[in-house]
Amino acid sequence: MKLGSGKNGLIINIFSIVGFIFLWHVLIVLAREDIFNIPFMRLRDIPTPVETWNALVGSMFTRIYGPALTYGIINHVEASLIRVIQGGVLAFAVGVPLGIGMGYSKLIGNILNPMVEIVRNMPPMAWIPLAIFILVSGGSIFIVFIGMVFPIILNTIYGVKSTDPRLIDAAKTLGASGSGIVMKVVIPSALPSIVAGLRIGLGVGWMAIVAAEMVIRSPVGLGYFIWNMGDLGRYAEMVAGMIVIGVVGYFMNISILLFQKRFIKWAD
Amino acid sequence: MGRLILKSVSRKFNNSFAVNDVNLEVNEGEFLCLLGPSGCGKTTVLRLAAGLDTPSNGEIFLDNKKITGANRECGFVFQEYALFPWRTVRGNIEFGPEVKGMQKEDVRQLSQHYIDLVGLTGFENHYPHELSGGMKQRVGIARAYANNPKLLLMDEPFGALDAQTRNIMQEELLRIWDKEHISALFVTHSVDEAVYLADRVVVMSARPGTVKEIFGINLPRPRVRTGPEANELRNSILKSLGAEIKKLMLQV
Ligand SMILES: Nc1ncnc2c1ncn2[C@@H]1O[C@H](COP(=O)(O)OP(=O)(O)O)[C@@H](O)[C@H]1O
Ligand SMILES: [Mg+2]
Repeated sequence: MKLGSGKNGLIINIFSIVGFIFLWHVLIVLAREDIFNIPFMRLRDIPTPVETWNALVGSMFTRIYGPALTYGIINHVEASLIRVIQGGVLAFAVGVPLGIGMGYSKLIGNILNPMVEIVRNMPPMAWIPLAIFILVSGGSIFIVFIGMVFPIILNTIYGVKSTDPRLIDAAKTLGASGSGIVMKVVIPSALPSIVAGLRIGLGVGWMAIVAAEMVIRSPVGLGYFIWNMGDLGRYAEMVAGMIVIGVVGYFMNISILLFQKRFIKWAD
Repeated sequence: MGRLILKSVSRKFNNSFAVNDVNLEVNEGEFLCLLGPSGCGKTTVLRLAAGLDTPSNGEIFLDNKKITGANRECGFVFQEYALFPWRTVRGNIEFGPEVKGMQKEDVRQLSQHYIDLVGLTGFENHYPHELSGGMKQRVGIARAYANNPKLLLMDEPFGALDAQTRNIMQEELLRIWDKEHISALFVTHSVDEAVYLADRVVVMSARPGTVKEIFGINLPRPRVRTGPEANELRNSILKSLGAEIKKLMLQV
């Protein structure tokens, strides 16, 4: 759901964020003072909001310690984003034509449906071992591709299939045929669904990239960063990284929604 | 130009006739109204004439050319407008000329001509969802006209409008039609509308639809909706149509 909607929505949203941070702080402090603890949890090891904030600020940019260089969160975000964009462009380039073909032609639909229906049920993470095994490089991009391509295909098919047949009739009486109908009626009519598929796909792709980076190691990437920080016991940095993942994902979603509003005006 | 002939045309759906043995002629420059109870095959006849559907039996000719496949010489005006929602008023009207591969400036000039003709000047850049029903159908009419058709096919184009708008649109349609006289086959289920618009009114029987009776309306235009001759014609058409509607009600 979009933030800041409804009566006083934004004010309530701000209060809820402040309230959550306060609760988080109180819980950790109580655990550390041995006053209260949730059974079976090591609450005391969780960083407080202030520690997390300091870790976030402290590790935001690249720093050099003597001979060693640690990448900043900014660099990790950039690396992960670039992978998601690369995988996303690939998924879009493959998924949209496939979806149009499968939605528009019964034959193509029947040929590809069995594969799509089985393969789309394999989570992107299940592909990680194979990606490591067969790909020399770009394994994480491939995982993003797998995560994104199916939402795009399925939404494109849906969009194509829900093209109003009367609009196709109208185009025919106006002289359009074959490719003209696809280009001038089917694709524009499916566009809102295609963009919706892209939005859902980006959400999946963002989750997939973090998981992939934990396994398919490279010096930069948010998944790698939080895993590494966890390994080193630097939990404040780790939690800061997690929050960054959530915030970046949120803004990706919002930017597609804004794009939709701006460029797909007709779908009131 | 624009002479439509249907020769014993039938169309079966699932082995049962929707229309059966329809013989019909729309003469050059004639305004013909097709009247009939719902489900009698009026839309089917229009779709067949437009080449959007093929008859199970019989043949259809437009200016002595047999119709096979979608016919771009027909301008179709749809019941629920069927405008392209992602195109503006201008974009909708330019669809046909664009597909034809006309020069950009010519397309623009043509669309402006029809935008002005149907009274949508100032609304060029509006999207369909921003328009009222009457305005949408003005776009529908302009879009059909801009394709330079020999024959206008209109499927209850004003059926979704309120009575007042409907009357205005009927007058507007005749005003536009007067400027560029093209043969027109106009489907309606309103006797008033048929008597106001048509040169001839064709009453169809209940399903399976066929031509039941033809009435000539030899009244000068612009017509007075409530004149004595109009009233008399309305009565005889209503009687003919009423019998078919009764049949329909007894069937179910
Ligand atoms: N594509 C179709 N498949 C099956 N039956 C159809 C189809 N199109 C129309 N029909 C049937 O044919 C009959 C005539 O339909 P239609 O031409 O739409 O009638 P009208 O426009 O006069 O109300 C109806 O009984 C309708 O159910
Ligand atoms: Mg109908």
